[in-house]
Amino acid sequence: MKRKGLRFYAKIYCKILAQDLKSKMSYRADFIISTIGMIFTNIAGFISFWILFRNFPSINGWGYYEMLFLYGFSLVSLTPVQCFFDNNWSLRQHVYTGDFIKYCFRPINTFFYYQSEIFDIKGLGQLAFGLITLIYSWIKIGLGFTPLMLLKMIVFLITASLIMIALQNAAAATCFWIQNSFYVLDLAYRFRDYAKYPITIFSPVFRFIFTFLMPIAFIAYYPSLVILRPDKVPLLSWLSPIIGIAFFWLSYKIWMHGAKNYSGTGS
Amino acid sequence: MSAIIEIKNVSKEFKVLNRREGLKGSLKDLFSRDYKTVKAVDNISMSIQQGEIVGYLGPNGAGKSTTIKMMTGVLEPTSGEILVGGNIPYQNRTKNAQEIGVVFGQRSQLWWALPLVESFKILKDIYQIPNEKYEGILKLYRSLVDIDPLLHKPVRQMSLGQRTLSDILAAFLHDPKIVFLDEPTIGLDVAMKSRIRTLIHALNKERNTTVILTTHDMGDVDALCKRIVIIDKGKMLYDNDIDHLKSFFGSYRTLKIRIDGELKEQATLIQKELPQFSVSANDEWISVLVDEEKAKVIEVLGKLQHSYNVKDMQLEEISTEDVIKKIYEEGVQ
Repeated sequence: MKRKGLRFYAKIYCKILAQDLKSKMSYRADFIISTIGMIFTNIAGFISFWILFRNFPSINGWGYYEMLFLYGFSLVSLTPVQCFFDNNWSLRQHVYTGDFIKYCFRPINTFFYYQSEIFDIKGLGQLAFGLITLIYSWIKIGLGFTPLMLLKMIVFLITASLIMIALQNAAAATCFWIQNSFYVLDLAYRFRDYAKYPITIFSPVFRFIFTFLMPIAFIAYYPSLVILRPDKVPLLSWLSPIIGIAFFWLSYKIWMHGAKNYSGTGS
Repeated sequence: MSAIIEIKNVSKEFKVLNRREGLKGSLKDLFSRDYKTVKAVDNISMSIQQGEIVGYLGPNGAGKSTTIKMMTGVLEPTSGEILVGGNIPYQNRTKNAQEIGVVFGQRSQLWWALPLVESFKILKDIYQIPNEKYEGILKLYRSLVDIDPLLHKPVRQMSLGQRTLSDILAAFLHDPKIVFLDEPTIGLDVAMKSRIRTLIHALNKERNTTVILTTHDMGDVDALCKRIVIIDKGKMLYDNDIDHLKSFFGSYRTLKIRIDGELKEQATLIQKELPQFSVSANDEWISVLVDEEKAKVIEVLGKLQHSYNVKDMQLEEISTEDVIKKIYEEGVQ
């Protein structure tokens, strides 16, 4: 038997993805309605943001376009978790009914096998909205452009995604131990809304919580500082890629630990 | 011939919280550390050869699923040794998974939205099945069942029977040494049951695959298994040939009679009259399981004829179902 490396998993993922997209598009009405729904969700989110900032020209020294930048940044960085890890939402159901056991019988990584089952296409619309917002605000702020900035941008977008994925993995994995884990997952999901705002607007207690306990400040705020305020970047910003990888690894371990101890229900 | 599955003195214990009744009890449970240990599987040993079909039987909650989960590597035994194809399943779950196939009667393991053939192609990649082997097995499948109408149908549009059939085909696809079938015919109609039995039988013969079959349907057992293992309350009750089992209860015969009136009510009356035998009733017949060492069937019939107007009667040798039922109730003497 050959060793199962990254190429092996990438190949299988692409196959499942291609088939999944094909079957999704064959349900045309379903596909169109969910696309329209996704567009409206994004427009609604944008409008509420716009109304807010018509009334407050700046928050704690953050101007309109800077806030827009944060908003776009968080939309883009939330795309991978939406697209690739959406099956975490059903984990609770699978575990509760005992269906999860089927993921234990394949000779591949359980986490991979589980997450590969669902690809949420709605995330792509979010990505488009996010990118447009990000580029628009980038131009309006007049940040200029260097290859280094682009590199920084990509690294920190990946970092932010990893943190969001980690948060969701860990929250979903709680269902291996507690029955009502939906609230944990929902809490994690709701907290990410706060990621759109500069952390300095919160009280010191929440600033601490969002930095060290629920690290949502790393989703948009700390990474954006590197681009927006290059002259006063805190150490935490530079550390965030490492923190992102560490958090992701930790959440993966928690998830796998739960899956390993899973014993199923009677049949 | 060496054993493909070797189980030695295996036990599995679960810790269960002692639950109290009522709301007050539930509140106390929140803080309670009052656990009791439940033995789901208690000191089981068996050895299964390559190519055997073994019926693994027992009433609900007997510990069947727990044993299967230990053999597939999902659960770790509390004590004892399990070797499946030379691997310790719990320690080498991935390696073990390559060598086995699993089917759960009610839970499809295929990709819900994908046509069967696409599921097969993904499995081909996951199990790294070489092309010629894959083509070979598809050819075999074609010769055994009419799979072409199934291949391009998404799994979610299939009937339960088609889905079970597909799941079994998928489980055998990578030519595993062992296939575990957990109630494969549950909820299926008679014709589909028979198709599935024929398929399992043929695959076992063709590929010499070991099959571990748990079921509550004695038709499955009669059609497929030479050997059966029975467990109850975690303990092994029986492990031998199915013919041997029948000779255990050779002195038993079932007397079926038809009389006037509501059969269920009459059966209770007859049961009172014949306390030493078990009496049951269905829509057409009242059945009395007679132990000929205690009383001859003719005597029992005479006795019944005396007090009831017997319109029709049948005599049957004991069926596997009755034997198993007796073992569940009384154990092997």
